[in-house]
Amino acid sequence: MHGLALALWIAYVLLDTGGQLAFKAAAGDERAGDGLARWRYMLARPWIWVGIACYVAVFVDWIAFLSLVPLSEGVLLAAINIVAIMVAGRILFRERLTPLRVTGILLVAAGVAIVGVGS
Amino acid sequence: MKRFYLIGFTLLLAFDTLNLLCFKAAGAHALPLEMSTAWLARVFSHPWVYGAIAGYIGAFVTWMSLLKHAPIGPAFAASHLEVVTAMALSWWVFAEPVTTTQVVGALVIVTGIVCLAFAEGSGEAAKNHLAPHEV
Repeated sequence: MHGLALALWIAYVLLDTGGQLAFKAAAGDERAGDGLARWRYMLARPWIWVGIACYVAVFVDWIAFLSLVPLSEGVLLAAINIVAIMVAGRILFRERLTPLRVTGILLVAAGVAIVGVGS
Repeated sequence: MKRFYLIGFTLLLAFDTLNLLCFKAAGAHALPLEMSTAWLARVFSHPWVYGAIAGYIGAFVTWMSLLKHAPIGPAFAASHLEVVTAMALSWWVFAEPVTTTQVVGALVIVTGIVCLAFAEGSGEAAKNHLAPHEV
């Protein structure tokens, strides 16, 4: 993997993880209330927009990355992101990681990687 | 809470599936593929692309509703059941080949999601967040 592909790869992990954490920050805000009021509250604050911006950037980054790297290798990225988001959720939102949860998450990541290799 | 997750993830999967089918159909109807306004016009002249957009919006609203309660780590992992359904649909609806390795990967994903479901059901993760003294 040469320099540009590596840069796009790092950007992909950071943007995807950042985007999901921003969505969680928006959705998990307990002051938001319920129903339509909750959506109004979320849309009036920056986190959901940070998430959407990351999402759009991930899309562009992904297309650029796949122009340099075969899809099967690209899918391995998705597996890494699953683990990155688990760790970030633990650090930033202090999410409880029980052994069964960690096992489940690692199995999903492994499965996604295997599907990628088999493509 | 278990019912909330079950309904939420089922909806998410339904929107993702709608998305996949509409994208496939929109792409097939817009052939030949080219980077041109004519191609874009072909894409947007069929109802399929609007189904795909609806699928995106539906999936987003569902995801944000799930994240109100669900921890991001396990929820993000569980959302990858989409990989399995996409593969099954490609094979079943579009008669695309599926390799043995992919089937093994799909089974590993499903096993992981079963573990996550048990983790929610067993109550061991009933408190999603660590108490201050547990950090």
